[in-house]
Amino acid sequence: MLYRSNAVIKGEKGLIFNIQRYSIHDGPGIRTIVFLQGCPLHCPWCCNPESQGPVTPLTWIKNGQKETITKWYSVDEVMAEIEKDDLFYRNSGGGLTLSGGECLVQADFCANLLHEAHKLGINTAIETTGAVPLREVKKVLPYVDHALFDLKIMNPLRARQVIGEDINTVKTSFEIFLHTPTIQVTPRIPLIPGYTTKPKNLEQIADYATSLGIKEVHILPFHQYGSQKYEYLNRHYTMADTPLLTNEEVQNIHDYFESRKIKAIVSGLE
Amino acid sequence: MQTAEITDTYLTARPNSRLQEMKNNLFRSKRQISLERALLYTESYQTTVNEPTIIRRAKATSYILDHVKISIRPGELLIGNRTIRPRSGILSPEMDPYWIMKEIDTIATRPQDQFEFTETDKQIYREKLLPYWTNHSMKDFINSKITPEVQKAMDNRVIKLNQTDKGQGHIIMDFPAILNQGVGAYIKLLQQKISQNPNNNFYQAALIIFQGMQRHFERYAKLADELVKKEDTPAYRKIELTEIAAMCRRLKTDAPNSFYEALQLLWMTSIVAQYESNASSLSLGRMDQYMNPFYQASKAQGVPESFLHEVLGDFYLKTNDVVLLRSAESAKCFAGFPTGYTVSLGGDDKYGQYAVNELSFKMLDLYQEIQLPQPNLSVRINEKIPRSFLNKTCETIRFGTGIPMLFNDEVCVPGFLSKGVSLDDARDYAVVGCVETTIPGRTYGLHDIALFNLMRIMELSLYDLKDDPKVTYNKLRQDILNKIDYYVKIVTQGSDIVDYGHREFAPIPFLSTLVSDCLDKGKDVTQGGARYNFSGVQGIGEPNLADSLYVVKKLVFENHEMTFKELVAHLANNFADPNGENLRQHLIHDFDKYGNDNKELDMECAKIFRHFALELGKYTNIRGGQFNAGAYTVSAHIPLGDDVGATPDGRKNHEQLADGGLSPMVGRDHLGPTAVLKSVSRIDNTLAVNGSLLNLKFSPNTLKGENGIKKFADFLMTFTQLKIRHVQFNVQSRETLIDAQKHPENYAGLVVRVAGYSAFFVDLNKHIQDDIIRRAEHAL
Repeated sequence: MLYRSNAVIKGEKGLIFNIQRYSIHDGPGIRTIVFLQGCPLHCPWCCNPESQGPVTPLTWIKNGQKETITKWYSVDEVMAEIEKDDLFYRNSGGGLTLSGGECLVQADFCANLLHEAHKLGINTAIETTGAVPLREVKKVLPYVDHALFDLKIMNPLRARQVIGEDINTVKTSFEIFLHTPTIQVTPRIPLIPGYTTKPKNLEQIADYATSLGIKEVHILPFHQYGSQKYEYLNRHYTMADTPLLTNEEVQNIHDYFESRKIKAIVSGLE
Repeated sequence: MQTAEITDTYLTARPNSRLQEMKNNLFRSKRQISLERALLYTESYQTTVNEPTIIRRAKATSYILDHVKISIRPGELLIGNRTIRPRSGILSPEMDPYWIMKEIDTIATRPQDQFEFTETDKQIYREKLLPYWTNHSMKDFINSKITPEVQKAMDNRVIKLNQTDKGQGHIIMDFPAILNQGVGAYIKLLQQKISQNPNNNFYQAALIIFQGMQRHFERYAKLADELVKKEDTPAYRKIELTEIAAMCRRLKTDAPNSFYEALQLLWMTSIVAQYESNASSLSLGRMDQYMNPFYQASKAQGVPESFLHEVLGDFYLKTNDVVLLRSAESAKCFAGFPTGYTVSLGGDDKYGQYAVNELSFKMLDLYQEIQLPQPNLSVRINEKIPRSFLNKTCETIRFGTGIPMLFNDEVCVPGFLSKGVSLDDARDYAVVGCVETTIPGRTYGLHDIALFNLMRIMELSLYDLKDDPKVTYNKLRQDILNKIDYYVKIVTQGSDIVDYGHREFAPIPFLSTLVSDCLDKGKDVTQGGARYNFSGVQGIGEPNLADSLYVVKKLVFENHEMTFKELVAHLANNFADPNGENLRQHLIHDFDKYGNDNKELDMECAKIFRHFALELGKYTNIRGGQFNAGAYTVSAHIPLGDDVGATPDGRKNHEQLADGGLSPMVGRDHLGPTAVLKSVSRIDNTLAVNGSLLNLKFSPNTLKGENGIKKFADFLMTFTQLKIRHVQFNVQSRETLIDAQKHPENYAGLVVRVAGYSAFFVDLNKHIQDDIIRRAEHAL
């Protein structure tokens, strides 16, 4: 299994490809996002394509120069970075957000980071697709305040074919987050033309959300900000010619969810 | 206007678009040089040959008040125009008659802040003004006093002395006092002082100008009378002009009793002070605090808010009518006509409570409507600022013009306390000029007296030590500190010479009357009459210094990648040898830089700045006051960068220094605004008593919606707790600015923050425009 290298099992070290301070669209307040390397999915629209694949160090070629873009961090090393903006978190209700890739492929490391943050009174959030076994999800549950949970393609066959996702695993993960009373869950739907925005798919998402009593989702319009990275990775980017959604299209999707009595908040595109 | 006159008939007849029309008129014609003040001043001087300087100055000012051409422009509710033609540049050859001669044929086309100079006026200048003032100006006096050591330091480009060619400025008069007492009370007081001290020239000089001010009011009253009589004046305008005439006559003696009258007296006081000294930055102080009682009184009298709004709008426009004519060199350092009608809103009162009122909000709202660079609004922030006012501040900043700037009480108040200012006075501080702080109505602070190029000092040390085989990092640091000690001594001497020049040539008795404790001491501010007597010297280049020292420390002394001598050789060669560019890229990209929250690096700079500030504080100026350190450049990072060769931070020969003062070097910060604030907070901002400057550029998207405002407000509260003294924001998209550069004609009204003050983007030269565009954009 790709996501269970030795370093991950111990949870003392984690492989990270970016730590981004002053993030204001990924959970409440002003936050620092830790992007963890590795993802079992292969979404063709991914804006962090460098994160896809196993938890192994990665290089790419930028402007003719070979660059190592991942780095092994100890828990203390990450926490030193996190603590730098503590004052900003305290004033804004912000904190630490773990993202990826799929951060939970390094669940032990995540659990350690989130636990340390909680000890310091720092608010925690994770961005996840939930595409990991339940035992991995359970490791972080005690230490998560907010889960920003991606819902993408609901058709089991399409999900497996297009992005490599087992929809039952995802649903199991989603529901355990949802049923943990200390966690606030925000379902996030990336609006990807030709993939997630088909009426049938939106209907399935709305049905699923309704069945669980969900009143609010965030919708994230497709963007092309990751396109450059495919070049650095020397990979073909299949979405290069996909146009952005028009405001009207986004509004229609928004209105659809509202018609299903689900509040839809457009976010993410800045 | 008296309540009785503001009838419904009047209100409906009055055109609604008046402010917009007046704004357009203000900018319709090209800026021109006006010789009027210079000629009147000189005429008066020719008749007062054997009298004491202070009396001659007073008589000249009063002569100007009696003879300068006056106008009441269409639609104006407030009277008092420095020149008939809007936005004219005024010369003061009594200070320096020479610089304009050098630029007489280039001033209309120079890169920054052009002025037309008509051929007739040029001839008058050459034949009449220049010969009269040659060898008799303040500049001549200062030049004759400059010692060889000071001259050498200037020639060495380590220090620059300011205010050698115009009035001192950077003063806030005691506006609350004159607004509450009126002109008549001052005249009485001065007459009393004169009867008790018949030989005191200061009191006599002050009285001469105050009486001139009364006559100046009367001249406007008569002009209004004449306009009323004109047949084509519409009925509503006749009501206004009649009231203007009556108000001018009342204000000759009485204290104002309405918001309208108070604004009128405030403006007239400011105009008289402008005629007296032609100085930059006679700032307005805590206008929301001293004007709100008048505002409330007028509201209580039933004056409609729409009318109060319009008079205040009129006042805003007026502050844009006065522009400062600077030499080309000075305009490079202070680009975009910063006249310095700076206003400080909010902040603690003497009870230590946050003082915000209806007018504080109103003034920010009105700014959003009028959007002109003056008055330059700032907000005093501290931990107790109400969220409602903080949000209003954030919304105004989001507008994108850099207004208001923020000043942190948590830094400024302790800074003043450390300099012996009383707690009550320290809490009453206000912004003067661009980013300097002062105690309004109680200070003659020479806030902009000299620039001190720390990067040039480091450069001198590098070259002095290049052949030393035993050079160590500590030795280099120590050499820099030793040189700082030496040049601090020299810069204080230089500043004192300029200080002395102003004392001998440019006493300002009218303004001094409105600065405590001049009346009690019977002395002009230039003689040391003020309660607080600082001199402010700006240390320039802290961020580049931090970056450079860190590179030297790591590259040479820790990694041993090359010898000290080799590094200096590369610098001397401006990275021109074959491997030079590779090395330069290595220096820029492989070593951390200031602005990225690296404690080791930031502290190197912090220690040197502390040393500079404490050393400066050891000196006393000729008025018995202390020297204070500042850390701001306004736009001087460009000319002062020109004075420094290639440096270890990867800067090339002549390249600009970091903008603002405490902002990271352009393009060198890459971790976002929280990391920038952390770096800036490591430099003990409390030591920068004279002023500091931090520019941050945000993209408008970051501040979108209620949530954007909330997070921005949280960010600002953290700024407050990090004890950073000042910050200002440039919220413009890069694309907007690039387009404005290409098509200035479409962006005549685009106001943009140029380090410490707001200007029109299209008024700035390409160099500075590029600088603004390049600054790292902190958006996500």
